Amino acid sequence: MRQKALLTVYKLAKQDPRVVFIGSDLGAGTLREMQLDIPGQFFMEGVSEQHVVGFAAGLAQEGFIPYINTIGTFLTRRAFEQISIDIGLHHLPVRLLSTGGGMVYAPLGPTHTAVEDIGLMLSVPNMKVFAPADAFEMENLLSTLVEDKDPHYVRFGKGGESIVTQEFSRFDLGPKIFGNESAEVVIFTTGIMLQHCLDAKAQLESQGHSTTVLHFPYLNYLSIESLDSYIGSAHIRLCVEEHVPRGGLFTQILHELISAGRPLTSLYQLALPASFSHNYGSQMDHLESNGLTAPKVVTKIKDLVSGSSKSNRMRI
Amino acid sequence: MTLDYVQRANEIPLDLKSKKLRLLVLDALEGGGRGHLGPALSLLEIVRALYDSVLLHDPKSPLLPIRDRFILSKGHGCLGLYAVLADRGYFPTSDLKDFCRFNSNLGGHPERATLPGIEFSTGALGHGLSVGIGMAMAARLRAEQWRTFVLLGDGELNEGSVWEGAMHASQHQLGALTVIVDFNRMQASGEVDSIVSLEPLASKWKAFGFEVLEVNGHDIVDLSRVLGSSREPFGKPRAVIAHTVKGKGFASAENSTVWHHKAKISRDEIFLLRNEMSR
Repeated sequence: MRQKALLTVYKLAKQDPRVVFIGSDLGAGTLREMQLDIPGQFFMEGVSEQHVVGFAAGLAQEGFIPYINTIGTFLTRRAFEQISIDIGLHHLPVRLLSTGGGMVYAPLGPTHTAVEDIGLMLSVPNMKVFAPADAFEMENLLSTLVEDKDPHYVRFGKGGESIVTQEFSRFDLGPKIFGNESAEVVIFTTGIMLQHCLDAKAQLESQGHSTTVLHFPYLNYLSIESLDSYIGSAHIRLCVEEHVPRGGLFTQILHELISAGRPLTSLYQLALPASFSHNYGSQMDHLESNGLTAPKVVTKIKDLVSGSSKSNRMRI
Repeated sequence: MTLDYVQRANEIPLDLKSKKLRLLVLDALEGGGRGHLGPALSLLEIVRALYDSVLLHDPKSPLLPIRDRFILSKGHGCLGLYAVLADRGYFPTSDLKDFCRFNSNLGGHPERATLPGIEFSTGALGHGLSVGIGMAMAARLRAEQWRTFVLLGDGELNEGSVWEGAMHASQHQLGALTVIVDFNRMQASGEVDSIVSLEPLASKWKAFGFEVLEVNGHDIVDLSRVLGSSREPFGKPRAVIAHTVKGKGFASAENSTVWHHKAKISRDEIFLLRNEMSR
């Protein structure tokens, strides 16, 4: 996904001299071809996230469209004030391309895992927050929104994810619907968890549970009120996200359901724990241990259907 | 050498224009009933020199594309900038009395969205230099001739992000970028030397790859000469260390941490300050 994103930035930069790429010591060879081809639009700055964001803001204030790429935790944690003030307050079209969303960097420990990035970025006024599911959707997103005037935060997966969004040939801000109206089970998800949720949907349907998956690559506004025919009659409504429980997709769902006056019944969440992990291993190890893989999602839903699991039913 | 500058900054008298600008600062201070007085007065001649004789700018066209860019990175010194901008006609001087009020254009820190002439909103310290580096780079990428000036406070130099920016400014050889340090040797809690000493300050900026000049920060002629000298787009960026006096011009406020910021200022206090200026 990252590779596709960076190549997309290169392609956009070739077409538009306002587009510039800014990295923060990303490693030898990153976008080498772009660096040689259009060096004036390529900046490999030092290990300096605060500077990089301010630098991008200065360029954007003068009409450029900077695409910053570095590790998501360093961007969102280290440079939060620069993101909020230099970019958010000034409403500048800076694109924050965040490598290693969620538990991608699990083997490197809790300093490197971006588990609260979506919540942090959603809290910044004017910031649009995206979590595409695969490289196809990533390319669509970047290419479609190049002229958008808002700042963007875009969470990357590990890379190599299966392409599952090809039926949506053009990116828009609405939810992506996989399934039919009035299904027994509705799963809300975002980012690379879509793949796991689609696998879960296939397993559930083979066992007689009609299932619809709603994917929200754009997280600021979910258009929940337009989804009544999908979620209104579902027996189970489960949010599956690779994020701490608060501040991410589930919080957005609650906000919109309450704002729209819709009931909060039969609403559940599977997420990462609200704690720093002291385990390492792989991203999959952590998804597995937190019930975020397809078999675990299926088990959770079947338990909910049978009434044997109410452990995290919402209590408002 | 440095002590000489400090002495000269202390001793140089204020001319009529500088006194007039200080009275405008008092108008705002009285209107808001609060404000950062000391920092505004140490930088007042620096900003005056910039807007009177250094910057290419047009108060009638604040966003003139070829204008020189000026960022007041130490945003808490904004009363000094407001006085100069009002004096130059960016907005009526009568607006100053609305300082910090709910519907005012003049906040306790400067905002681009609300006030003509503000290049970038500041207030959180340590942001302006990297933003200015981005602007200077933008000018160079487009082969435009305008220059970028960023005014930093000495207390602001405690922020690590300043030095991140400094390294990159010299790495990129941004010759059209000028950093000005308002070196009044005081910060909110006391003397800079008693909190985090900056010395040897000139050597620090040299070590970060800057051409360094020192100037009496209250000497309009000297400031105009140093800041106005020509720059090339490629080359060492420039750091101008302006030796100043916090609270310059008001004996009761000079070198005073009390007047760094006051959240409540009485009319009696304003009256006494005005009297000092009319002597």
